[in-house]
Amino acid sequence: MGLLSIHFKPNFLGLLKCLNKLNWFIVFFSLINLSVCIYEDQIGKFDWRQTYVGRIKFSQFDTVSTAKKIIVATEENVLAALNLKTGQVVWRHVFESTSTGNIQLLHVTEKVVTVTGSNPYLVRGWDSSTGVLLWEWSLTLQNEEQSEFSEFWVQNNMLVHMLPVFGSHVEVSMYNLLSGQNRGATSKLPATWTNDGCVLSAPYYTCISGGVGTQQLLSLDVTSNAVQLLSRPISEYVTVNTYDGGLRPLDTNNVIPAFTLDDKKIVLIRNNQFEILKTEVVDPSASVALVDTMHGQVILQAWFDENEGFTVKAHNAATGAEVPELRVLEPELKLAEPELAAATCSRPRDQLACRLLLTGADDSVHLMQQGGRVIWSREEALANVVAVEFVELPVSDLDAAIESEFDQKEGSIWAAFTRRLQTQFQQLQTLIQSLQKGEGEEDEAPPALVRDYFGLHKIIVLVTDVGKIFGMDNLSGALLWQYYEPSLDTENVLVYTRRTARYPPYDAYVTIVGKHEESGNGLIISLNPITGALIGEKLMHLDVQLLQCALLHRPDNEKLYALILLDKDENVQILPGSAAPLVENMYMYVAEKNTARVQGYALVYDGRSLWARRTWQVQLGGGGAARVVLAARKAAAERVHSPGRVLPDRSVLYKYLNPNLVLFVTEGPDPLHKDVVVATCVDAVSGAVVAAQTHRRARALPLAIHTEHYLAYLYYNDKHRRTEIATLELYEGQSRWLGAGAAFSSLAGRRAPSVERQAYILAAAPAAAATTRTEKALTDKHVILALSSGALVEIPWGYLEARRGGLAEDGSVIPAQASPPELLLGGDARLNYNRSLARPARVHAAPAGLESTSLVLATGLDLFYTRVAPSKTFDLLKDDFDYYLITIVLAALILATYSTKYFASRKILKMAWK
Amino acid sequence: MRLHMIAVLTLLGVVNYAAGIDYDGWLNIKIEHSLNCGHERYCSRGNISLKSIRAGSTSVIEQIPFTKQHIEELKSIAEVNGFYTMRTVVTSADNSKGTEFFSSVKADAFLENGLSDVINAWVLPNGAVIAVSFQVTNSSQPLLKGASSHKINSNFFLRYVEQAPVPDTASYIQKLEREREAREKGDVKDNRSFLAKYWMYIVPIAIFVMISGATNPEPAGAQGGR
Repeated sequence: MGLLSIHFKPNFLGLLKCLNKLNWFIVFFSLINLSVCIYEDQIGKFDWRQTYVGRIKFSQFDTVSTAKKIIVATEENVLAALNLKTGQVVWRHVFESTSTGNIQLLHVTEKVVTVTGSNPYLVRGWDSSTGVLLWEWSLTLQNEEQSEFSEFWVQNNMLVHMLPVFGSHVEVSMYNLLSGQNRGATSKLPATWTNDGCVLSAPYYTCISGGVGTQQLLSLDVTSNAVQLLSRPISEYVTVNTYDGGLRPLDTNNVIPAFTLDDKKIVLIRNNQFEILKTEVVDPSASVALVDTMHGQVILQAWFDENEGFTVKAHNAATGAEVPELRVLEPELKLAEPELAAATCSRPRDQLACRLLLTGADDSVHLMQQGGRVIWSREEALANVVAVEFVELPVSDLDAAIESEFDQKEGSIWAAFTRRLQTQFQQLQTLIQSLQKGEGEEDEAPPALVRDYFGLHKIIVLVTDVGKIFGMDNLSGALLWQYYEPSLDTENVLVYTRRTARYPPYDAYVTIVGKHEESGNGLIISLNPITGALIGEKLMHLDVQLLQCALLHRPDNEKLYALILLDKDENVQILPGSAAPLVENMYMYVAEKNTARVQGYALVYDGRSLWARRTWQVQLGGGGAARVVLAARKAAAERVHSPGRVLPDRSVLYKYLNPNLVLFVTEGPDPLHKDVVVATCVDAVSGAVVAAQTHRRARALPLAIHTEHYLAYLYYNDKHRRTEIATLELYEGQSRWLGAGAAFSSLAGRRAPSVERQAYILAAAPAAAATTRTEKALTDKHVILALSSGALVEIPWGYLEARRGGLAEDGSVIPAQASPPELLLGGDARLNYNRSLARPARVHAAPAGLESTSLVLATGLDLFYTRVAPSKTFDLLKDDFDYYLITIVLAALILATYSTKYFASRKILKMAWK
Repeated sequence: MRLHMIAVLTLLGVVNYAAGIDYDGWLNIKIEHSLNCGHERYCSRGNISLKSIRAGSTSVIEQIPFTKQHIEELKSIAEVNGFYTMRTVVTSADNSKGTEFFSSVKADAFLENGLSDVINAWVLPNGAVIAVSFQVTNSSQPLLKGASSHKINSNFFLRYVEQAPVPDTASYIQKLEREREAREKGDVKDNRSFLAKYWMYIVPIAIFVMISGATNPEPAGAQGGR
């Protein structure tokens, strides 16, 4: 007891010494980042979202309400309001992507009226300033077959529906716009002269009818009570010999019924009379619009010419005189096939002010003022991204010089010495230059595109459905360059990074392999992803259709990975051709989508030419009617950090890491079980099936994950009406088949891996799936799912593991009873917090230079970029790390240590004197 | 042509795999290769026949022996590190037309291992074959030199595409019910020892005492001595 009391005696000195030791713990603990979610002030710090609406179908200026807007309805079935000054989306409604969401009519007055769907139709009214739904009624047609030719328009607060029955009659019904009440019975107007080339220019329905040479131009006001048919022989307007039946309504017109004839003449209908204008259509491809101004109606024409550029001309409709104020000639604006989507003119102070909304063939939207100034542009092609590639940025010139200095290994000691002196002199020069610049004014130029220290800054190459390719800065979301190729068919397009920017003086090299829109032949675009300039093969049209393409696994002496193309006749091409001798141990597979037949080829270089030899063939549907829904392979050059996993009993279970494994998910009918989904893991080199399993009464979804030794794919369970995710893990077993570091060979050895299987319920509708990727694969892998609800969810692989529970004494796996069968998607798993994504379609992940971090881009109607850290940011200080506090604490502790040392020595001295 | 009969009986590792097969019937696999074929692209190498897919355990493999010409051709393929390709046609009771498969092995590996291979056929639950693949096995018996004919040592395995597991809802519900019952019976008594329960409070105190005791024993000793 006495001893204890001595120890517990308050001892100031001891406590201080103790604190001295503890301060290192304080420093240590303050470094651990405990935050999991983001804080409110971090919103938008690591992520961004861009909202798009799609290619514009109908648009109208909202000039009534105080906040000026443009109301647009798009091909993507989106109704939106765009800010007139900035082009940003004010409000947006995304309708169903199927035909029930098709927008048939957009009418803007004080309210916005839309007709959507295709029999039954929904008529809705929206508040133009907020986008709130005001009223809605549905319209069902009796006549099912003809309904696709229906036309709608609004006239005197009535919704007019016209249904032509070609060669017979025209049915016209009128409804109260707000209530849907029918004014009377449907009136049937006899019109035997109608055909499918007729155009509507409300309320006139205009056709060209009759035999060659005696054609008549016929027009009928379908809403008037008295049927009055206008009829004129066509020879009065155009020369009959050259006429080929071109009858087009004007692109923008809400003034007076009008149309163009034979892409030459513009005809108005005024006072129930055809009236031909003095102004002729300037260019056959020109978009023609009729706009009402204070000075009468003006005909606007816009077209694009390769030599002259983009041109707009305006003529007075009555006199035919040109309006010079509205003339635009922009040689710089590359807007292919421009269309005047909407136009409005006002005259505030005796000066004509017009605004034109233009759309191009590349889905871009531009708002132009008179004089040609573009107020804003939107790249609506980005609403349909089909392929994404993250590309590294090059190092700065200075770093490149240092690297090249250490690269050169040959040379004598003196050469090395002089080289070092030279480079250090250069470095000194750049230092002095930068100091001089610092003294002067601040550099206004945007930061150069060079790699940052953590490798977080990249360029995203986006290939869009319409054939436009973009380079985007991943940190800001800004577009750096764009390239439009109208003939590119982007179905199943592939993007390869053939050389990264790591090898100066060579440029980075990205190749896009697509199809030609008309012929279906291969089309190859090679460009520098940093600048967007075409390099190498540039734009290359192949004269044959492609079956498969791949990158060679080893680079040539210019660090370029060759592109190997297998064409329809089983011939092989290699780009560049000089890389052919490098082909060795190269294999390819081709899966036929509709027959589920998969063939494997070995590529052989015989000293002169390269050819493909078919080595294997399997029938994944068993010869029956089955189709391949997806083929998922591992990411090229995937790194695996750990070849095994440690079990609770300290033994190691080795992973089956076959880099040639491909997962095929096929779907086919079955006499007993309706639809059957078969998942087969095939070794693409030898053609051997490694594992396979079936699901009865299920339908396959084209979503799968394949990385390291695990696979997961999603399917729809028809029996239980829910989406499920099946996971597979492949293991070699407790002992390794090959020695550490030995290369895997598909052709040697016939051992089958053990397969762990599991399935989980996913209580959501998934739209895309991906896994996170990091530089060295040290970090955990998480699965990222985009759900149709607009959420982007991150699920740790641990939740999906097929191998649950520990290992029993005898080596068998204990069944996982405790795990819930449903995947729980918690709110904190959601990466995009409250920024919902409309119609997500794809998710891409790319490694950052920082090991803990993976960069994620979700595409769809919206683009959303963020970065995730699956194992937390273990190599990064947290964002709000308090540098001041830690410095003050450290300084105070050092001060306290030395002062106590001083006081302690004084005390000991005093005690010794006692 | 003289047919040499080699009957290899293969036992399937797990018999209950076959329970997933909805269909039963005979199966015939015709093996063709392109060695010593004369003008034909492919000529017969042998035949595998099964009486029952579901039983699967017995199969009869008949294959021709390789003559000198076969070996010579195989050697010439092996010289260019080429592939020896087999074409198989699978026929069954309701697939009389047959399904065609191809598979290849490296010719040099096949020669080195004394013409030993393994044939795997994968069968769907509806009885359809999706793949027939050949792989060379490691065999310690090299090719006998000077022999006029060589047997092919083939092992045949019929592999069934398994039924995938379904989400295990039943056992989870059972577990939840067991937990509910346990809760209704009353709280589970925590019968761990005092130390096991409160070690997390005791350990820091003990460390603190030890540190403060160890850092300053001298003043304590001096005081005690006085």
